[in-house]
Formats: sequence, C-alpha cells, structure tokens
Amino acid sequence: MSGKTVSAIADVEFGAQLPSFTPDTSIAATRRFGRHVGWNTPRFTDHEGARKEGLPGAIVPGVMSQGFLGAMIHRWAPDAEIVAIDTVFRAPVLVDRPHTITGVVTDVDEDAGTVEIDITVANEAGETRVFGTATARLSKD
Amino acid sequence: MILDLHTHSIKSDDGRAKVANYCQWIRARGVPIDGFVLTEHRQFDFASDYGELSRKHDLVILKGAEVETEYGHVLVFGVTEALYGEFDFASTRLPLERVVEHCDAHGAVAVPCHPGRPRVGMSAHLAEHGVPKGVRIVEIHNGGSRDGEDERAVAMAEELGYLGVGGSDSHIVSHIGRCATEFPAPVGSEGALVEALRAEEFRAIPKGESTAG
Amino acid sequence: MAEAAVDEDVLALRERFLGREFDEVTFVINGDRFAEYAKVCGETAPRFTDPAHPDFQAPPTFVSTLVGGRSMPPDFPNLGGMGMDAGKGVEWKAPVRAGAKLTGKSHLHDIYTKTGRSGRMVFLVTRMELRDENGVHVANADTRTVIRERIKK
Repeated sequence: MSGKTVSAIADVEFGAQLPSFTPDTSIAATRRFGRHVGWNTPRFTDHEGARKEGLPGAIVPGVMSQGFLGAMIHRWAPDAEIVAIDTVFRAPVLVDRPHTITGVVTDVDEDAGTVEIDITVANEAGETRVFGTATARLSKD
Repeated sequence: MILDLHTHSIKSDDGRAKVANYCQWIRARGVPIDGFVLTEHRQFDFASDYGELSRKHDLVILKGAEVETEYGHVLVFGVTEALYGEFDFASTRLPLERVVEHCDAHGAVAVPCHPGRPRVGMSAHLAEHGVPKGVRIVEIHNGGSRDGEDERAVAMAEELGYLGVGGSDSHIVSHIGRCATEFPAPVGSEGALVEALRAEEFRAIPKGESTAG
Repeated sequence: MAEAAVDEDVLALRERFLGREFDEVTFVINGDRFAEYAKVCGETAPRFTDPAHPDFQAPPTFVSTLVGGRSMPPDFPNLGGMGMDAGKGVEWKAPVRAGAKLTGKSHLHDIYTKTGRSGRMVFLVTRMELRDENGVHVANADTRTVIRERIKK
C-alpha cells in the first residue's frame, strides 16, 4: 500500500497501512510554527530554554503533532474528510530528533463510508510518544 | 497458548479500541496470540459478553481489571462478584497488600504492571513503602514501555524473586500482542487463567520477540 | 467515557462544573495562518495550502490551535499543580474557510482521575464548541489537561 493514495471507501482494506512519513521536527520548524501559528515560547523553540524548564530539550507542540497525523491521512487519502481525530500525548516529541508517523486502518464501514485509523508518533527507539485514532470519511463511489 | 494479559478497550477512559476490531486485527494481521485479557482501568466489566466474538474469531477473550494502589497500577485476574465487593475498584489509592490479600482469599491473582515505570510502577515506590507482602508475579514486559522501563522491571523481578508476565497494554487496536505471556496448556476461562498463573509455569514474551510490532 | 473512576471531591467538581459554559470568544479565521500551519505540519493537499484553491479550507486539526479567553471556569478551584497538555481531540462538522467568523463557547466536558507518583493526576477535558456566523456548528475542539497534584480535601 505504501506510496499509493486512495479516493473511495471501496479502495480501503481492513489492516491497510498508510504510507508513513517523517515529519519535520527541526527547531526551524517549531520556530516557524511559533511565528505563524503560536506556541512561540522557549519550551518549543529553544533547547536551552526548554532545559531550564526541566525538559530534555525543546519539544514539539502537541497541536503540531496532531497536525502531522492529520497530514498523514490526507497524504494517503487526499480527498478524505477527517471527521474526528483524538490524540493522547503520552510523552514529549523532542525537537531535532527523528520521529515516524504511522497509521493503520482498524475499521471499515462501507455503509457509512468511513474508516477508523490508529495513528501514532514514535521516536527513533520505536517508543510511542503520541497515539490516537481518527475517523475519516471517503467517497462511496 | 499465548495470551496478551493486558489490554484496554473503549470501556477504559483512555482506551480507543473496540473489542471486535481487536479480534479482526489479530486474525487479519496474523498476530501470534491465541487470545487476550481486557483489563479495563479501575473497573470490572461484568456486563459485556464476548462469547460470540470469541467463537467467531476462535480467540480466547477474558476479563480482568487494572486497579490503582500506592505502589502504582496492578492487574487483577479472576475477578468475581465477591471480590468486587471487597474493595473499591474505582479508587485511586488502594493499599496493595490488602488487594493481594483479597485476591488470595477469593481465588484471584494480583500482578503489579509496568513496575519499571515512573509514577505508576511499583519500583518507583519501593524506597518509600518497602517491599510489599504477597506479590509473586509482576509484569516484566509491557508493550507501552519506554526509556528502560522493562529493563528496570526485569531487574526488580530478579532481585525480589518475582515471576514475570507480559502484556501489550494496548489502548489502540494495532498495539495488541506487542508483548504477551506463553502458557504450556490451553487457558479458556478466567478461572483457568488464575490456575495457570498460580502454577507458575509461564513465560513473558517481550516486544522484540513478537511479530506484532 | 465509560464508568470512569471518580473520587468524591471530583464528583462534586463534576456536578458543579460539567456542561457549564465559562468562556465565549470570537475568531476571525486567517487563511495565511492555517495555510502556514498546514505546510509546517506536512500537508500537501492544495485545498489546505493554496489560498487560490477553489476549496481552500483549514485542515480539521487547525481548530485545536484556537485558544479561548480562559481555559477554566473562573471559580474553578486551584488544584495545586501545573497543568500539562495530555491530548487534543477534534470533531469536524463543516469546513472552516478563510475569513470565517467563528464563535467558540467553552465548557468542561469531563473530569476524572488517575494515580501519580505524588498523588492523583486530575484530568480535565475542556470542550470548545465552534459555530459560524449562521450558527452552523462547524467543530468541537477538546483539550485534555492533566494536573499532577493531589486535590486538597
């Protein structure tokens, strides 16, 4: 399934793996997020400032991690409507450390035209830092 | 027989998985387990009957609970109505030794879970509270562990002479089976699970050994 | 939420605060801001990143960035610890377009507890209901905050 996009509910199989992608968790990205969107504080934009708060380094804002997960779904199904997305922040997503975004289809409701997707952000050690679920609506045609 | 002894469904406040989808996932992905135990947070789910799902997917689906004590979280296997009446499963401050005593008296087993985890694991509380009486088994492999937590759990179990089990601690469908426990004989009921645990013949399966991810 | 554990003092908080609206704020949605949000988050679909696209709209998760005037009722007791962001949820109901004027009304949607090393962790779920100028309910944005301190009894 990797690399392919889908447009209709009939294209989706239970257990399908969404193409994973490596989000931009660089300090430049969180600073850009801070300038244009918000969360422009040292905790997110400055490693030294974050360490002064007792963190191991700057962390990616939770709302940005949630945005990564939504982006992954749209990369897989560009016309999908994400009707619900729920994310649990289990551990900090550290800035300037590689993370992987993954998703797998765990329910397909062809009548409703919706799929449920498990979504996770994991670090390079494979530890889940953010997890959740999303419901996306796809075309029934 | 391999069982994932630690899973959560949407019955738990932070669970996002439907039991039917767990079953479908295990079969579709060939997750190498024969069943799982639903250990919902701070409750025992008397109402749900998973018999039909169990038969449909040929999977063992058992029920337990995950309660909270001064030593952190504890799995309880073999919950009965009589045991449920002995202490408040919903409490966040249960005394572990009393939980163990009640379990022993009612044919159940209490197993501290993710004991290497800060805050909610047993090892974080030994310095303050000492070694609790009555504990025989702890969860040494937990699918949600990070930052050396399983290593701490294994070390603590070795030091204190505990046996170890494994469970995924899955809250979403795709995490089921990440860790599990292997038993030498079939386990088809909560009572049989208690017997198997008390027989002390089982093996914890770590994440890397499973093909479940 | 199914049968959550609730201590008595938290039960009292639930009775007193759940469902009670405590904040109302108006947002004028800035298309440049959500397009930038989309790009930084890795969105590639032009309907989220290109203001010239005929279906230009905010990614559904964008509403999580809309922050109200206050996150808690003004008379909510101080639980003694610093709040940490434990999660976000969005229910999307209709597209949010550039220039839309949205009204966000907030209430506490859930309060529950778990144990932590130094006492209880109290989870507060704040829900902001977002409606457009025509009263159309476009989204719910939930924020789950955890406070790692024991409530004084």
